[in-house]
Amino acid sequence: TNIHVESTMFEDVEFCVMSGTNEYTKSDLEGKIAICGGVVVQNPGEDTYCVIAGSQNVRVKNLIAANKHDVVKAEWLLECFENKTFVPWQPHHMIHMCPSTREHFACEYDCYGDSYFTDTNEHQLKDVFNRMSSIQEKVPLDMIADLEQRYSWDDSSYSIFRQCMIYVDSFTSINDPNTKIHTSRLDVRALELRFHGATVVSSLKEGISHVLVGEDHSRIDEMKALRRTFTKKFKIVSELWVLDSLKLGKLQNENQYLL
Amino acid sequence: MEKKVRKITMNSNLGITYFLQVSWKEDLGNGFAITLSNGHSAWIGEVSDNDVSKEASDMEMDKIAYVDELKKAMILTATPSNKYTFDLIKDEESSEQYIFSYEKKLKEVSFKIGSLKVRNVNNPAEVINELIEHCLNCATELQINNEHLQKENERLRCDWNDMHEKLNKYVSGKEELEQELYTRFTCVLNKKKEKIRNLKEKLSESQQRETQQKIQQKSQDSVPFDTVPISELKDEDYGGSTDEEVKSQKTTLQPDLILPLRRQLGKIPHLKERLCTNQKTLPILMTFSLTFN
Repeated sequence: TNIHVESTMFEDVEFCVMSGTNEYTKSDLEGKIAICGGVVVQNPGEDTYCVIAGSQNVRVKNLIAANKHDVVKAEWLLECFENKTFVPWQPHHMIHMCPSTREHFACEYDCYGDSYFTDTNEHQLKDVFNRMSSIQEKVPLDMIADLEQRYSWDDSSYSIFRQCMIYVDSFTSINDPNTKIHTSRLDVRALELRFHGATVVSSLKEGISHVLVGEDHSRIDEMKALRRTFTKKFKIVSELWVLDSLKLGKLQNENQYLL
Repeated sequence: MEKKVRKITMNSNLGITYFLQVSWKEDLGNGFAITLSNGHSAWIGEVSDNDVSKEASDMEMDKIAYVDELKKAMILTATPSNKYTFDLIKDEESSEQYIFSYEKKLKEVSFKIGSLKVRNVNNPAEVINELIEHCLNCATELQINNEHLQKENERLRCDWNDMHEKLNKYVSGKEELEQELYTRFTCVLNKKKEKIRNLKEKLSESQQRETQQKIQQKSQDSVPFDTVPISELKDEDYGGSTDEEVKSQKTTLQPDLILPLRRQLGKIPHLKERLCTNQKTLPILMTFSLTFN
């Protein structure tokens, strides 16, 4: 009642504050709204512009369920105070949107909150990505390879071997993980391959593109015999192929490394 | 002082194993001392620096090459034992002395690398004790060294495994992160494409609607379909000219056209005359001046 009004940015706008934040209590926020000329009510009604929630509690959840009011994060309010202007709502401000607001947002933003019309930046995109935590289905690896090819990212040093599916000769008996050779240099090569985009598989099967062999050449004959039965022929290369490709930052032609 | 003990056989007594201990300072070329024993008796002898040099020059060999050959014969056990042979023969001059000789066996011939006089030791047990002690010391030293290396090896293996595990974690992390980022990227990208598709659809819809409206309007405005509106026909045929048109132009355009025409014709006197005398030629002159303009 004896409030000194500092700003008129919220003049005649009705707010209902449900809860405060760690830094500001509910009454702190209400006081700040009043200073800016806003009206504070304890229960949202027809004229309430929006509900402010610092943290989600039962009342907030009930309001969300009722689907009649927009529920906005207290951060938005703080942003308004900080900038001393009525900051337009953005998807990351919203806890819940009533149908009309949702419709309005659907024209401006996609369902992840990325604008259709305004350029994004690293910070905003990170924000958008962070809010996408619920995505379960990951893109398959070959799609990543396709994407990189389409946007010409495939010359990045992190995707040198993206198109390769490689079996590393690190079992004394081919395809038998129980016969793993320990502390082998090939293990490091396998990690390097993976780090630079390759798919490393543990079984010499149809569809692989390369077999990586180290100093021990004793299994090459068996591999070649297997290869005769495959429709897609893989290449047997020495680890130098990996080392040279990495050194030069570019996939080297396998032909000089064939075994 | 370095020492090396090895097992040899003597040519003249193949059934018995002798132990040969060679001791030297830094290099065999500096001379060396040998101790021989068959388990019962023992012999000792020495070869000096000068002896080595003399031996080398006698054989007309470079000293370095000779010492190399000596090493192979006396110390290195790795070379096939049958390549070098040894012999211990009683010296004819003195009963207490023996001659120890070492030879290199080639395909058909063998040549003597060197020989030295060794004397019988009075107390062989002492010498044999020393030999055994040296061997035991060597064995202990090797064992300690071996244990140390094994520990070191174990530590390195642990470190390697640790490192490998961590690297594996990092690589997996990178792969996961990459996949996650790409997933999110594709989701957002596809939403944009969806929007573009929608807008495109809307655009083509509205375009379709527009053309439909046009067609509808046209069909409402125009006369039966086998006739063409006059306005369009006129446009198309404007380039051509017929007598009637020229005549109509003559009548309608005369006041405007004739004046500038006259001004031009004024500069060409004989045409002016013709214009004045023969009014009939006017249409021809008009087209002429029109192309001029």
